[in-house]
Amino acid sequence: MRRWLGPLAWWLQRHRREDTLREELEFHLAEEADERRSDGMADEDAAWAARRDLGNVTMLREDARRLWTWIWLEQLAQDLRFALRTMRRSPTFTAMAMLTLALGIGANTAIFSFMDALLLRTLPVADPDSLVVLTWRSRPFDMRGETFVMRGINGSTFRENSEITARIFPFPAFERLQQAADPVTSSLFAHFKGEVLHIVTNGEAEVAQGEYVSGDFFHGLGVTPAAGRPIVNDDDRPMATPVAVLSLGFANRRFGDPAAAVGQPIRINNVPFTIVGVAPAEFTGVDPSIAPVVYLPLHSREVSPDANSYWLEMMARVRPGVDVGPAQATLATVFDQWVATTATNDAQRQNLPRLRLESGAGGLDTLRRRYSTPLNVLMGMVGLILAIACANIANLLLARASARRREIAVRLSIGAGRGRILRQLLTESVCLACISGALSVPIAFASMQVLSTLLANGQESFTLHADLNWHVLVVTLGLSLLSAVVFGLAPALQSTRPSVLPALKQALVGEAIRSTASRTMRVPLMQTLVVAQFAISVLLLVAAGLFVRTLMNLESVHLGFKPDGVLLFDVNAQQAGYTKEDIAGFYADLRRRLAMVPGVRDVTLSRNSLVRAGFSLRLIVDGKRVDGSRLMAVGPSFLRTMGIPLVEGREIDERDRPGRQMVAVVNELFARTYFGSGNPIGRHFSVGGGPQIPKPGERFAQPTLLDVEIVGVATMARYGALRSQTPPVAYLPYGDISFPPIAQMTYALRTTGDPLAIAGIVRELVRRADPQLPVTNVRTQTIEIDRTINQEIIFARLCSAFAILALVIASVGLYGTMSYAVARRTSEIGIRMALGARSGNVAWIFLRDVCVMAALGLAISLPIALVTSRLVQSFLFDVRPNDPYTVMMAVVVMVGAALAAAYWPARRATRISPMSALRTG
Amino acid sequence: MTRDASSRLELLRGTLELLILRTLLPGPTHGHAIAKHIQRTSEDLLKIETGTLYPALYRLEAQGWISASWTTSEKGKRARYYKLTARGRRQLVGEKSKWDAFARAMRLLLDPQEERR
Repeated sequence: MRRWLGPLAWWLQRHRREDTLREELEFHLAEEADERRSDGMADEDAAWAARRDLGNVTMLREDARRLWTWIWLEQLAQDLRFALRTMRRSPTFTAMAMLTLALGIGANTAIFSFMDALLLRTLPVADPDSLVVLTWRSRPFDMRGETFVMRGINGSTFRENSEITARIFPFPAFERLQQAADPVTSSLFAHFKGEVLHIVTNGEAEVAQGEYVSGDFFHGLGVTPAAGRPIVNDDDRPMATPVAVLSLGFANRRFGDPAAAVGQPIRINNVPFTIVGVAPAEFTGVDPSIAPVVYLPLHSREVSPDANSYWLEMMARVRPGVDVGPAQATLATVFDQWVATTATNDAQRQNLPRLRLESGAGGLDTLRRRYSTPLNVLMGMVGLILAIACANIANLLLARASARRREIAVRLSIGAGRGRILRQLLTESVCLACISGALSVPIAFASMQVLSTLLANGQESFTLHADLNWHVLVVTLGLSLLSAVVFGLAPALQSTRPSVLPALKQALVGEAIRSTASRTMRVPLMQTLVVAQFAISVLLLVAAGLFVRTLMNLESVHLGFKPDGVLLFDVNAQQAGYTKEDIAGFYADLRRRLAMVPGVRDVTLSRNSLVRAGFSLRLIVDGKRVDGSRLMAVGPSFLRTMGIPLVEGREIDERDRPGRQMVAVVNELFARTYFGSGNPIGRHFSVGGGPQIPKPGERFAQPTLLDVEIVGVATMARYGALRSQTPPVAYLPYGDISFPPIAQMTYALRTTGDPLAIAGIVRELVRRADPQLPVTNVRTQTIEIDRTINQEIIFARLCSAFAILALVIASVGLYGTMSYAVARRTSEIGIRMALGARSGNVAWIFLRDVCVMAALGLAISLPIALVTSRLVQSFLFDVRPNDPYTVMMAVVVMVGAALAAAYWPARRATRISPMSALRTG
Repeated sequence: MTRDASSRLELLRGTLELLILRTLLPGPTHGHAIAKHIQRTSEDLLKIETGTLYPALYRLEAQGWISASWTTSEKGKRARYYKLTARGRRQLVGEKSKWDAFARAMRLLLDPQEERR
């Protein structure tokens, strides 16, 4: 108590204390002088000797004050007051510094918040760290041969180094592992996201994502429902009563509150279910990339017993006290034995997949795989921006520190400790950085919104939500402090270097005459910083150039169809309850209705849109099975609606319906590949899309072959993503293909005006045709294409913005440095001009420096750019990482900016009047 | 009269406080007199720096071992007089016996012959 109150009491009366000390020291001095006088010294000498004997009074006073503790607090307050006063005195400098720094910190915070959401967020379940995801690894495989046991794949596989990894398994593997996992895991459960579901509650239909889960899913995760009960093992059996668990958001939206939803009926893909529970608010499934609105028992859908068909995802909870290593060993042994039984030949036995456990604390790594590389690249860029901003402020501080040399020299000479002044200068830097850090929070928030919008790009189910939580804010604070030290330390150390005398002398004699030592010491530091800024700018310029070129290349990819003025939307009548027999009729009828909408020139439909297409069946040409060709199941006048010209023949029209000879239009590559230079019209081929006729003894009935006659040849039109090569394509009438069954169709409407203007009418029309058939994914063809190159668009835009920002900051830095140099050498220039130097010579003095700095910047950054641009190679399209054109552009832009920034100070130098320069000097 | 700086002794840490307390034992006096007293009594072997004397005085005051008041000096000037408090006296006794023990121990170790005599 006393320890605290004592200092407090002292501190409160510190002014009185200081008076006391002063008076006491005066008395001491007088006594000392008296004594010396009595020893026979002259009056003045005695007083002086006494004074000298006393030593450094300021230091003594500080020492005494330190006793009255809390001195550091007092000094801090003093330093802060002083810092704020200094900032107010140069508002432009302060504003510039704060703005650049706030932009730098804000951009870093924004990107980090996404990294945080992506990498550090754990599932909102009990003890997420004991969860594991089951995955396997295998040699890269292909589905065509018979050399791998993976014969059917429904789900994602990822390439990792030289291997393929995936987390999908056959259902029998799940059953086997579940039986054997008990010693090492307390629960092993499965889930499957499947396709989007058609959901009807209270007569209102919508299409949304669901998740099929095994009976132990909720129990294994430790998720307690907000209302009702979870799905349990008894629900997950063939022929069990169909039950559903809703997400809290969906339950609130449809039933008002969770409790009201329990017990209500719900129709899913036209099958009645009963709602038994509602998941808690924070739980949105195990895959952060999707947010299912409904959870259904696995066995409420068809569960394939095929041991070679990989589709089911699995997670497990490792028992307390069991390490992942032993758990993996146990499960891998079980899986190895099981998977060996599914192999039918030696090649397959050689190439078996191997089980691995991955951490499941953050759920599935879908989002991480999709976004972590792009975010790493962005993080690197914003890191460079922050570095450039710090270098800039350090430079401005250096320039200012030399203006403050005299102040600091005076303070050093009257007894301030170097540490004390260092501390004060650093307080200024930290103060500057912290205010910038605070300013950066709204900037970060705005950037996060922009980035979210950019990344989501109109996707309804975008789930990567970043927010400003405490770890993000801690990082912001850390960045602010770090940058304060980075940009503050060098100038502070330099300006307090204990060479007091030259500074004092120079202040008296004038700026022109200065010790050569201090000049050679300081100038290189400022110039080094400018060089570094230019080097970083070049790096960003090269990156921006590469991404812009990539985007330009993608945008100029030959489409082969006309994307402008086309409206697209999806409907799925199969899920809404239409049977095999009437679905084609319904789709054809809807097409006729849409054709009557004013402003619609042509209407067609297809199984998928062109840029999202990727569909193939068994194909037999001239009695031989052929691979590598793709199919497009389309409705009448597809080519006309999409604007794909015919080379010869006719296109598929309303006459081509089931019952007549099945026809096809093929693209030029198809014709050339299979029919050479001969005329393909009238030729036939076979496609395996007929009805499935089960044969005895076969579990899976092969679809029968359909005979197709070619009636037309179309020019090459894009099929699939812009980056891919267009394969040989055959357009077939959708109604003739009965395997796989017709489900979702994409309608395309070519309009005379703005396609989105008729979106409302289209929705209304479909609602009238069937009120329980939701229209989904309404977009124009142009938007759809943009979405497929979304990442490239983001990179091109952001990176250009970053490069411009970096260049502006660097130019401001150069401008400041040059202005300072001109001011410093005013009298030198005056002398030169008085001796007959022309303005060109004077300007050249400064521009030469700039050229040297720019050249150094280039010499440093170009090799780095050539090496680091390889890191972004996977983001590029049709551009080599060291594209000479891009590098040239970067060099030209950088040198241009450097000369522009140096022009005004150099011009000012040429306008110096020799007389006034010499007089003030 | 004054010895040159090299023959002066560095004060051991913590001994200044003890010396101040001992100096104040006969009666109250001011800072300058304390410094002079220590210097003279030690035959100029110890020189008290002003820079350390006053902080030490404040430290002792903060501990409550001495108290200070402004009085007029014998020469008629206002001076701050320091006086030993009861607690300070106890402290002095304790510190002195500690110091005696320490000094004896040092002597025993450094000059074993001399002490045996």
